[in-house]
Amino acid sequence: MPLYALTAAVLAGGGAVAGFWYYFTPKYTRVGYQPLQPVAFSHATHAGQLGMDCRYCHNGVEQSWYSNVPDAATCMNCHNQVLKDDPRLALVRESAQTGKPIPWVQIHKLPDFVYFNHAAHINRGVSCVSCHGPIQTMDEVYHARELSMTFCLDCHRNPAPNLRPLDKVTDLAWNPHQHLPADWFEKAAKDWKINASQHCSACHR
Amino acid sequence: MKQPHSKPNSGKTGPDYWRSLDELAERPEFREWVEREFPEGASELTDPTTRRHFLKIMSASFLLAGVGLTGCRRPVETIRPFGKQPERYLHGQPLFYATAYPGRTSAIPLVVKSHEGRPTKIEGNSLHPDCKGAVDQFALASILNLYDPDRAVRFTEGGNSRRREEAHDKLAAVAREAAASGGEGLCLLVGRSSSPSRARLIGELRQKYPKARWFVHEPVDFDIHRQAAAIAYGAAVKPYPRYDSAKVIVSLDCDFLGAEEDSCVAIRKFAAGRRVRKPGDSMNRLYVVEALYSLTGANADHRLRLPAGQVAAVAARMGAELLKQAGDTSGLAARLMELAGPVRQHEAWIVECAKDLLAHRGEALVVAGYQQPLAVHLIAHAMNAALNSVGRTLELHAAEPEPMGSISELAGLLNDGKVQTLVILGGNPVYNAPANLNWKAAQRKAKTVLRLGYYEDETFELCDWHLPQAHFLESWGDARSPDGTLTAVQPLIEPLFGGMTELEVLARLGGMEVTRPYDIVRETFRKIAGPEESAWKKFLHDGFLAGSRSKPVEAKFSPEAVSTALREFKPLPAPEVGSLEAVFYRSASVDDGRFINNGWLMETPDPITKLTWDNAILLSPKTAAALGMNWFDLAAKSPKANAGRFNSPVVEVKLGNRSIRGPVWIQPGLADNTIGLALGYGQEKAGRIGRLAGGSPAGFNAYAIKPADGFVYAGASLTVVPGKTYELACTQEHGAMEGRPFIREANLKQFEQRPDFVRNMDLDAPAHTQHLKPILDERGRPKPIYKRPPLNGMHQWGMVIDLTACVGCTACAVACQSENNIPIVGKEQVVRGREMAWIRLDRYYYGDVDDPQIAYQPVACQHCENAPCENVCPVNATTHDEEGLNLMTYNRCVGTRYCSNNCPFKVRRFNFFDYNRRPLDKLYKSPFSLNPDGQVELARWFKDPDKGTVPVDQWDLLKLARNPDVTVRMRGVMEKCTFCIQRLEQAKISKRIKARDSGDVRLSERDGSMPQTACQQACPAEAIVFGDITDPQSRVSQLKALPHNYTMLGYLDVRPRTSYLARLRNPNPAMPDAVARPQPASMEEYEKKNASPFEAPTGADGHGKTAGVSGGKGGH
Repeated sequence: MPLYALTAAVLAGGGAVAGFWYYFTPKYTRVGYQPLQPVAFSHATHAGQLGMDCRYCHNGVEQSWYSNVPDAATCMNCHNQVLKDDPRLALVRESAQTGKPIPWVQIHKLPDFVYFNHAAHINRGVSCVSCHGPIQTMDEVYHARELSMTFCLDCHRNPAPNLRPLDKVTDLAWNPHQHLPADWFEKAAKDWKINASQHCSACHR
Repeated sequence: MKQPHSKPNSGKTGPDYWRSLDELAERPEFREWVEREFPEGASELTDPTTRRHFLKIMSASFLLAGVGLTGCRRPVETIRPFGKQPERYLHGQPLFYATAYPGRTSAIPLVVKSHEGRPTKIEGNSLHPDCKGAVDQFALASILNLYDPDRAVRFTEGGNSRRREEAHDKLAAVAREAAASGGEGLCLLVGRSSSPSRARLIGELRQKYPKARWFVHEPVDFDIHRQAAAIAYGAAVKPYPRYDSAKVIVSLDCDFLGAEEDSCVAIRKFAAGRRVRKPGDSMNRLYVVEALYSLTGANADHRLRLPAGQVAAVAARMGAELLKQAGDTSGLAARLMELAGPVRQHEAWIVECAKDLLAHRGEALVVAGYQQPLAVHLIAHAMNAALNSVGRTLELHAAEPEPMGSISELAGLLNDGKVQTLVILGGNPVYNAPANLNWKAAQRKAKTVLRLGYYEDETFELCDWHLPQAHFLESWGDARSPDGTLTAVQPLIEPLFGGMTELEVLARLGGMEVTRPYDIVRETFRKIAGPEESAWKKFLHDGFLAGSRSKPVEAKFSPEAVSTALREFKPLPAPEVGSLEAVFYRSASVDDGRFINNGWLMETPDPITKLTWDNAILLSPKTAAALGMNWFDLAAKSPKANAGRFNSPVVEVKLGNRSIRGPVWIQPGLADNTIGLALGYGQEKAGRIGRLAGGSPAGFNAYAIKPADGFVYAGASLTVVPGKTYELACTQEHGAMEGRPFIREANLKQFEQRPDFVRNMDLDAPAHTQHLKPILDERGRPKPIYKRPPLNGMHQWGMVIDLTACVGCTACAVACQSENNIPIVGKEQVVRGREMAWIRLDRYYYGDVDDPQIAYQPVACQHCENAPCENVCPVNATTHDEEGLNLMTYNRCVGTRYCSNNCPFKVRRFNFFDYNRRPLDKLYKSPFSLNPDGQVELARWFKDPDKGTVPVDQWDLLKLARNPDVTVRMRGVMEKCTFCIQRLEQAKISKRIKARDSGDVRLSERDGSMPQTACQQACPAEAIVFGDITDPQSRVSQLKALPHNYTMLGYLDVRPRTSYLARLRNPNPAMPDAVARPQPASMEEYEKKNASPFEAPTGADGHGKTAGVSGGKGGH
């Protein structure tokens, strides 16, 4: 076997492995995922332009681990008057009428062996924007942060910079580091007894 | 570089897209996509000069990030919200509803947890004033019956499916016929029930159809308690024992801690009187007279074993003694002495016991068991009357008898051809009717048979119309708890398969307008508690109607009635080897047979025999030897491959002219010449759990030789079937502690003299570790030699199990299985010791093999601070929490099993097979085997990896029973008790949600935020206490500070977080067996190898005879 062929094969193999190792990680495979949804709902319009609070629709997020996609009846609260015959909302009207669910495509999905709890974060000063990115600017939601285990641990190892006053948790455009003094964060973490566990049991039961 | 070729079609996918990236770049979809995907970098990609450069760098991401190539991403999963979300529904948050598990004469109040609209976990209702949250293993496991794939799901006529409306029409037709003829020829066979709604409907039906006949049949019936009380007190009453008020309890073959109805409430009350916290606390005392070894006998301070037929003689002698010494003049004492002949050899035992009863007049209680004849119950009442128990330790509650005939009367009517329409509501008479009736032939003689049943079982085969019954978790109903409180039965889910409740069937049979069970129950409630809607809502919320407890009835004991009844009593002859006594008993696993298809109960070992999946013919060691079976010989002669496996000889038991065959189990402590036969097994028509691999029914059918309603029969004969053996799956072979101090026992007096006697049994006591002084820490324990996980969490979890309170009922094991999605493994795997229970009840025998003492110890993961399992995991899948828990990360585990190897308590369970996705009889099939449909398993898996090879109905239904907060483990992964980490995390999260931006995040018992582990919540004796050991006021801290608190195997320096309170017994020193054995038998065994813990002082020179494990320096 000619030496250079062997060397080339080893280098190519090594390169393939390295490339795979580096690129097949959530940072590259998940970030940017923007599937087509059955209804062209725009967060930019509703959360951004209209300034609706996240919790108006995702109402379970303050008590449950799961941040629910709203039922069609929530949409109809406004849309039984606004754009009430618009063809883009046909599926929503049908769902509210008949109960047939709209098949939204799930974007943010953690593996089944990860138990993440929304309520524990929302109620303790972690904003939606920390993990979901600037949703209020998205016409179609895309996966903004990689949500890998490293991503979670980076915050759990140092939660203070990711905290903000509880009334600003759903104010996605508000940057706490621009409005609050630098020592606010450590103080909040201490006063609120933020104890972001780094142990396996926090997420893997 | 541009190449001349045709433009690709816009609809194409795959390689065509990549013909030219430049070409691609010109298309409007691309521009749009770029703007979305890379809002910052969009200009880069549309500007030709930088585009190629950008693309080169981003090539990987470009490749993966769409452009139609969603095939490279994970599969699309959809979220489907409601059209209109139900009120108060929050996905992920469970809802709790109060309901009740309906038994025969009473119901157990429950609170059931419901996830996403389906029930997932049954718990006791701790608000209930009497039961206070006590549950038994049947109630806990009954949720699995709801999701039983073998339950009846269709309406049938003659075996053919019919629609629900046709069944309703049929019921209406029966109603019309009955209305026309006044019920002539209509017979209804029901089971027992405490439901006031059912009683009301039956009353209305009786009025409408005066000629219709009603019959009641329960194969294991507890109505004898009421019958005896009615005769003894001359009033319509039933007894309600107050075990918490009794200081001395005598049980005449009454297994009130196990087989009797309401045993969970009895356990709670008994444990309240039993537990000891400090020297000087009083304990109750339990005397048991019995034939088979029952849970009550296992917890007895004094146990007299003799054939069940002679319990009457013991009762008579004891009663005579009591009445004589109490100065009774009714002449009853003389009559009783006549019956006392056969038990002369137990004179001393009986007389001392009677003395003790009298010494505690007003605080004593005598109870008789359901298997004993009426005479024994009457004698027990006579004794209670002499002891002034009524109103103190024994309450009498009003109880009208059901004016219904027995099944033998119904058989008579059937044989006479007088039955036109027979309606059977529940039950399985073809399987469990008394053998003398030949019910199979009799039932066929009715013109039409309609049946409401839960399974398509033996009775289904012989009926015309079959209606599927709804489970209690799907039904509206009501019931009464043991103390008489009105309790709600509230459904958690619509009937999964459109089943009907008994109330609806009765209403339709009566041609009534109101047939919805909700309306029926509401109407009954209105009659009892008034029309207020708020009262009804509170009733449903709490699960019971406050203040509806039965008021104790004042009634006078009538010695004349008892004397009259005793005149007809004929005692059974004493059994001997040629004419054995057969005792039938209610199985602790399958009840009377209704749970034969419940995997959790079938696999939970019987508390005494530790057998799973089968029943056996129980014999005492002497009887077995006399009949030519020597257990130890058989084991010695078996081939080596079968070492440790139980291949029992098969024997034939003949009673009358009927016989059955079954495997023998030698049970130490059984009365001689008595055979124990558990009812409920051997069902030919059971589902996939009740029939083992190969379709053969689990166990043998004892009903086939049970002649009539009684449970004790003389004249049985037993012959060994030569050459036949049957393998039994037993989970505990080794019943000895080998002198090691697992269970540390003492008599109450010994404890009072030496409260810290357990310290002398600690082999890691300071006395033994003096030579290690330089490396000891401030608590006298060796400093660890390598880095330990920091235990600096806000809470530190610990558990204490009180062995004095624990009775061995196994409710904790079933609760754990329900909460943690623990799979069942099937009989074959249990034989190999692979059962998956995270908490097990170890049962130890001590003393002599004919009459041993028993002690129980629940063992779950001890959560050792110095866990030997954590150090040896090569992939760090098992780690130690900062709050002291030893936890598993299942996704890391590769299945080395080194951790289980290292665990000295053997509490780690390994998933050897995929128990969830493979049928239990096909666990060994390899990926290259052929499935029944001809497909290679590997190919099938490739197409649909999720489903596995279980049948579709099983897969779809059993998924619903799982707790979504707990991982379901796959093959190859180790699992073990986690102190219910999901409950701890949920409690911490709930506290944090409440705390919001305050620092009030600590869980504490005082504000009700402390979670309970599933075992703690289920334990009716409240023997398991869990909590935060850094809080000095928590219950667990207080218990750990008690002098008789110890850890198992502490000398291994594993520092378990679970500790035990020593087991204390309260024998009467005047009793002959206490004179012969002044201390618990387990201590005799311990002292053979070690010093007596009551003599050696704890302190500097506390050696005495050195520890058995390894003396000197090396051992520590």
